[in-house]
Amino acid sequence: MTGWHLDDDMLRRYVERTDSLAEGASAEQHLLACEPCRARVNAAASVIELSVIDLAAVWGHTRDAIEVPRPSVFERLLRGAGLPAPEARLVAVASAFRGVWLAGVAAVLAFAALAAAFGHARGVWVFLAVAPIVPCLVVAAGYDPWMDPALEPELVTPYPALRLILLRTIAVLALALPAVLLFGLLVPGETAFAWLLPAVGFVAVVLAASTWVSPLRAAIAVSSAWLAVVSLLAARSGSADAVLQARAQAGFLALAAASFAIFLVRRRRLRQLRTWR
Amino acid sequence: MDSRPDDETLLLAVAERDMGAFRTLYERHAGWLAIRLARRCNDRDLVADAIQDTFVAVWQKPRGFRGDGDIAAWLWGIAIRRLVSRLRTRSGVAAVFENAGVAPAAEDQVLLSVEYGDIGQALARLSPEMRAVIQAVVLDGLSAKEAAHLLQVPVSSVKTRLYRARAHLRAALAEGPS
Repeated sequence: MTGWHLDDDMLRRYVERTDSLAEGASAEQHLLACEPCRARVNAAASVIELSVIDLAAVWGHTRDAIEVPRPSVFERLLRGAGLPAPEARLVAVASAFRGVWLAGVAAVLAFAALAAAFGHARGVWVFLAVAPIVPCLVVAAGYDPWMDPALEPELVTPYPALRLILLRTIAVLALALPAVLLFGLLVPGETAFAWLLPAVGFVAVVLAASTWVSPLRAAIAVSSAWLAVVSLLAARSGSADAVLQARAQAGFLALAAASFAIFLVRRRRLRQLRTWR
Repeated sequence: MDSRPDDETLLLAVAERDMGAFRTLYERHAGWLAIRLARRCNDRDLVADAIQDTFVAVWQKPRGFRGDGDIAAWLWGIAIRRLVSRLRTRSGVAAVFENAGVAPAAEDQVLLSVEYGDIGQALARLSPEMRAVIQAVVLDGLSAKEAAHLLQVPVSSVKTRLYRARAHLRAALAEGPS
């Protein structure tokens, strides 16, 4: 420190910008190294009308900017896929995207796939029983008001409920389907893919049914029915062929189409989703 | 000095997510940074944005300060570059060097020549454009490309103006005070 400081005239000229380049430059060079003079500039700036920049407001904006939580990985993925930021937020806040929930789904699937890979005939049945119902359960959890309390106020906003629910459904499936497909690779033979059409059908049924009852309730009812059918078939024939037959698969496709049509027709009901309880 | 924590202590506290220290750092530096930035750019909104960007960057990467030199100089380095990048995204806003157009009063001129001697006079004789380039490149330490964004001129103009300004200063200093 040299003991040299900006005198009051220089300070005033600096803040008022009436100084020359050389004087301004030496003032600036000095300010970088001299805390007392910086404090004097700050004080002068707040007095002199010239600094119209509202530093209190800038501080407010700065705080807002640093306090916004970083978007989740999934939300950033959605934005990367071209979804506008507010929609990405709406879609991603669904409980279904919480890591724990996904891990649970993955564990169930892994168990089913392992059972299928090592347990021969009976194991394949386990996979066939579990895989088709996972997507519809995940979808239901993705927009059931019980799982996501924030959903109710969202649904009464002008934002179209149909769009919100479909976006969430697609987003959930984009996560769940590859997971099931991946685990399906462990399963020998055609069974690995036989679950796809039933899964699509069940998702559509849940969407349609949620115009009457709570999405989770619909998903659990559909899942129970499917489990009952599968165990009945297993007890009777001991083979997975029935579900693989072209006629059965066409049936699931028809189920999906019909349910989706009902869902679209009754979409106005989506504004008042029934809760689980 | 008094018992107030110095800037480095504050910065360490900011790295520990201490909002109080961050606020103190802001109050200590936002004012003079705003004044200095406003000397580079007349658009107050842009300056305000640049200040905000600067402190958000400080909050996100407080360890970017390597411990060499003054924290004030480090902050200025961030701030001027944030202003440049704000200018880059918004075209049509001219960064005006207001002080370059203001001629010092006669008595100030005398004072200046006493205090700065030949260099002060030589600088004062530069055209406003050349002074702006000298200020951006020599005094603010910007690259030619950054200076070009700040002044909204092509990079090639920055380079030729800088070259001419240097030649001019060299000649003025060699021939001595007029």
